[in-house]
Amino acid sequence: MSDVMIRLDEVHKRYDGQAGDAVAPLSMEIREGEFVVFVGPSGCGKTTTLRMINRMVEPSGGRIWIDGRDVTDVDPDELRKHIGYVIQQVGLIPHLTVAANVGLVPKLLGWQRDRIEARTAELLDLVGLDPAAFGGRYPKQLSGGQQQRVGVARALAADPPVMLMDEPFGAIDPITRARLQEEFLALQRRIRKTIVFVTHDVDEALRLGDRVAVFGEGSRLVQFDTPLGILTNPADDYVRDFLGSGAAVRRLGLLNVGDLRKPEPADRLPLRVSSGDSVHSVLERMLRDGADRVIIEGESTEDDRELTLRELLMAGSAR
Amino acid sequence: MSTRDEVANATGEAKSWVLPVIAAALVVIVFASINARELDSIEARLLSGEEILARVGEHLRLVAISTVAVILLAVPLGVLLSRPGMRLLGAPVLAVANAGQAIPSIGILVLLAILFGVGIWMAVISLVLYALLPVLRNTMVGLKQVDRALIDAGRGMGMSARQVLVTIELPLAVPVMLAGIRVALILNVGVATLATYTNAGGLGSLIESGIVFNRMPVVLAGSILTVALALSVDWLAGVCERGLRPRGI
Ligand SMILES: Nc1ncnc2c1ncn2[C@@H]1O[C@H](COP(=O)(O)OP(=O)(O)O)[C@@H](O)[C@H]1O
Ligand SMILES: [Mg+2]
Repeated sequence: MSDVMIRLDEVHKRYDGQAGDAVAPLSMEIREGEFVVFVGPSGCGKTTTLRMINRMVEPSGGRIWIDGRDVTDVDPDELRKHIGYVIQQVGLIPHLTVAANVGLVPKLLGWQRDRIEARTAELLDLVGLDPAAFGGRYPKQLSGGQQQRVGVARALAADPPVMLMDEPFGAIDPITRARLQEEFLALQRRIRKTIVFVTHDVDEALRLGDRVAVFGEGSRLVQFDTPLGILTNPADDYVRDFLGSGAAVRRLGLLNVGDLRKPEPADRLPLRVSSGDSVHSVLERMLRDGADRVIIEGESTEDDRELTLRELLMAGSAR
Repeated sequence: MSTRDEVANATGEAKSWVLPVIAAALVVIVFASINARELDSIEARLLSGEEILARVGEHLRLVAISTVAVILLAVPLGVLLSRPGMRLLGAPVLAVANAGQAIPSIGILVLLAILFGVGIWMAVISLVLYALLPVLRNTMVGLKQVDRALIDAGRGMGMSARQVLVTIELPLAVPVMLAGIRVALILNVGVATLATYTNAGGLGSLIESGIVFNRMPVVLAGSILTVALALSVDWLAGVCERGLRPRGI
């Protein structure tokens, strides 16, 4: 499973009439079955990079291979029929039923009608929509979350090995988004597609990606590593800033207790905090620095108080 | 369904019976007053059943031919002018076309008659020229208002530009295009009365005869029948418009 599925080699893009590169020369390899997330601030070139992979944007230079084939050797329309593409606006065709939307690519590929019908039902099932209840509806008769599920089903229709997803859950309310992320992860465990997923939401990136590519301005690739690797060893201050506060707590979300080893006993310096700091931020810093005591600074040195981690936990517990 | 949809439906339905009822009432009034009067020989000749039917037939034929011609010309032209490569040309064409709309229709007719002579084809040409604009403009506007994300999604799943046009853009532009065609149709019913000046017949020649022979009832009958015809055609067009609008939008 470690075959390279997508390879970018010095790919870059400058839009007509613009002074700088929208995407600076970029090289990366994405393995077969891997879920890679591009994350970075808005305007850093994530969408452009993604759209160069299916040639919705023609690169100004560099080369892109999918499954060993140079994409510029393939007719773009043909190429795109075999790459799933999901966008934030979903883009369901409003005057076609849900079933017809899902069956669009198979129809373009000239499949027989009953094969399309069977595939459509299978896919709606796969994304958790009852084909009998939803197949005949029109897109506007669905909620935003249901529409995006149909968008995913449609992208999967011709069983493409590669899926490109551009902020697919970006326009969806947080609760539905969390559920869709969860379901999509479960789905991916079954279908094992090679996925390139774009988001500007760090939490989403760390939750979904096997590996996360952190981009800076001008699509400078700053770090490309597993979520745990990024949280444990941020490449530089830019990444640290981008992760924001709470990285240490977030990192715990990626570790299971079974993964932990007993640490070497070591003398640890107490952390100096002020009385206005929140318990949450203090715990976060203790975790990051491995401190087991804090000194809460008072008006003068005599007023300093010391709390151990154990006392902090007991005092802060809800019971 | 929102309240707004219901309101829209209610007014749509209200319109759908009001128009034909008014048209029918007008026709009944015309024929009742013709029958109630003593007609002199000229009036009797001009207002005989066959005569009126013949005029209405000529009128409808003019409208039908020119509307079909308008659609065949303006829709492909509008599509062409809204393709990405042609956008630069589209705006000035639309501006010129809009200016053309301000030229009085009688002016076009007389001008063409002077230049090229008279006959039904001359009438058709001027009707087409006149009614082209609403259809052209609405085709372009209808295509322009299609959500870019839909076109993007279509191309992104491997549709060619042509397939996107046929499966996505045109169906979504249909309501706006139909509205333009309806305007063209009504314009044509009205302007076709002027076709008498190119000897193309129609209800206009009934009105003209009434004026020439100084027979007010004939003028009135011609005018009222034109109004009734316009109302009926508008109603029919509305029915078609609702029927042809794609579901789901
Ligand atoms: N079609 C375009 N024409 C010109 N400039 C573009 C186009 N699309 C994107 N850009 C510019 O390229 C840069 C990167 O955009 P984009 O790839 O959309 O970033 P992101 O998806 O990370 O927000 C931005 O500065 C944007 O303004
Ligand atoms: Mg983007």
